[in-house]
Amino acid sequence: MAYSEKVIEHYENPRNVGTLDKDDPNVGTGLVGAPACGDVMRLQIKVGEDGVIQEAKFKTFGCGSAIASSSLATEWITGKTVDEAATIQNSQIAEELSLPPVKIHCSVLAEDAIKSAIADFKQKRAARKALEG
Amino acid sequence: MADPFTTLGVAPAFSLDLTQLAQRHRDLSRTLHPDRHAAAPPGERRRALGHAIEVNAAWRTLRDPITRAEALLERLGVPRDERGGPKASPELLMAVMEQREALAEARASGDVERIDALAGAVRQREQETLARLTEAFSRAEGGELDAPRLLSLLGELRFVRRFLDEVGAALDDLS
Repeated sequence: MAYSEKVIEHYENPRNVGTLDKDDPNVGTGLVGAPACGDVMRLQIKVGEDGVIQEAKFKTFGCGSAIASSSLATEWITGKTVDEAATIQNSQIAEELSLPPVKIHCSVLAEDAIKSAIADFKQKRAARKALEG
Repeated sequence: MADPFTTLGVAPAFSLDLTQLAQRHRDLSRTLHPDRHAAAPPGERRRALGHAIEVNAAWRTLRDPITRAEALLERLGVPRDERGGPKASPELLMAVMEQREALAEARASGDVERIDALAGAVRQREQETLARLTEAFSRAEGGELDAPRLLSLLGELRFVRRFLDEVGAALDDLS
């Protein structure tokens, strides 16, 4: 199957590959997987006090489309507030990368990863706020 | 496609005697081989060929535990899920992520021993998952169908398969 140019571009030059300290209170970690194909994806965000995502990193073990979807996701969410980032839909990622129907699940995985990283971050921040009273 | 269990004439079960099944496949293939039907009328030849193709496809489906499980789920009326079933548990995902990272490192440093050790641990897990799946399927055959459990065990098996495929690719790379 042929990959679109944008997928190949992200695959060859993935943005923001790496790891953030998952124990940092300002870091949210999302870990998701696709039982249909065995891909795994980790997406992490570092959020400032103003709620803006300062940095996003990912690590994906999967096909080119999964790597491109997560790479694009980190690019899109950096500089957005967590609430803005939470509105990103898999269909937007699929459209940007011209993913064929059989690869749509890769964009779903990326959306899940964003949401799960945000949920983790919010949980941490809520727990911290509760401690601070 | 016809039900592979029916095509090969075996009772539908997850736990199958593969040696016996292989023998059954060979016997059927021999009977259906085009050379045996060379003198037959064209209609009959076509039917034999069609049947031979079906027998091969059924054998391929049943010898692999993943596709065998899919075929059984279809028989049990569990609808196919494009996403491959329920979400994997955080524990499983964490374990898979760690193993994939360790494998990538071992591959990059050419550490074949480490790769073998990782593969061994994952094969162990595969055996455990297969045992659980066997049990869940036999319960289902006894009328206690737990579709979410079957699907999540099958998903686990796919993660394992994927990892072992990567192990194969890494070892090919390094040999």
